[in-house]
Amino acid sequence: MFKKSFLGGKNEERVIEKIKKHIKILYTACETFKSALEKQDIEKMLTVSDLEREGDIVRREVLSNIYEGAFLPFIRPNICKFVEIMDNVLDELKNAAQVYDMGLKLDKDIRTDCIEIAHLNLNMCEMLSITFEALCEGQDLREKMLVIRIYEKKVDEMKLDLVKKLMGREIKTFWEGKVLSDFISYLSNISDIIEDASDYLQILNISIR
Amino acid sequence: MKAKEIMNRKIEYIKFDATVYDAIEKMVDKRIRSLVVKPRDEQDVYGIITVRDIVFRVIGKGLDPQKIKVDETASKPLVCVDKDMDIEHIISMMEKFNIARIFICEKKKILGVVALLDVMAGSLIERAKGG
Repeated sequence: MFKKSFLGGKNEERVIEKIKKHIKILYTACETFKSALEKQDIEKMLTVSDLEREGDIVRREVLSNIYEGAFLPFIRPNICKFVEIMDNVLDELKNAAQVYDMGLKLDKDIRTDCIEIAHLNLNMCEMLSITFEALCEGQDLREKMLVIRIYEKKVDEMKLDLVKKLMGREIKTFWEGKVLSDFISYLSNISDIIEDASDYLQILNISIR
Repeated sequence: MKAKEIMNRKIEYIKFDATVYDAIEKMVDKRIRSLVVKPRDEQDVYGIITVRDIVFRVIGKGLDPQKIKVDETASKPLVCVDKDMDIEHIISMMEKFNIARIFICEKKKILGVVALLDVMAGSLIERAKGG
């Protein structure tokens, strides 16, 4: 009953496939970002912006498909909100990539922590994808959401440590400090936004029961 | 799931000649339950001092924490495993030795630590991924 009401007909299936594509783009963007950070590869980092644009196109398609008649009207706003939150993750990732491209200098200690956060963000994307699949199959999302919260907590702790480390450092210019601070903020905000996205999956889960 | 996937790289150290009181201060400040005790010299090994050790071996016996060195209270050597060890094996080691944390080491270097909470989180992640 649940599965039937959520997946519905062809229009719904088309939207579901596009949302899956959107999540896949997000995963690829997170993976590209992490790999570029590890290898200090600026060229690769710039491809994150391309993925963000690709994500934008899919988001618009999802929104127009929904308002062409997919899903019952009361579910539509929550699906739209979920897609928009995922797009915010891509925006934040693009911002981090662009700031990195501004000649950001990360010493080994800070870079290791940033790579770890990027790795956790990637794991959260994977879990978001698993949670979405579970929603489509009418499964319980509770355990999946707990894991997303565990990852988010870890990122929060790492952010706090990073800020403490940075507070003890000498910053030579305002812009050097701002770029570094922005980079850490963008990178660590991603986990918060993914958690928000997973909350919307739970709202969808409850609303279509 | 392997140890390296769930380990925590954040490890707090304390010098071997610090007092137990110094250790208490550090634990309270940083809200942690254990500290790795640095070796005395190249022949020595790392040790660990936990809240449990302090309560049972010092406070419980009416000893003065300001007069006892961490080196006298710490457990040595650390229980170390390889970064590729499976989570199931880690759980059985924790149960067998009745310990709450296992260190991940490479040669003489500590890479990270896996505590009970990390094991619990790791098993939840594995379960959610359908592993």
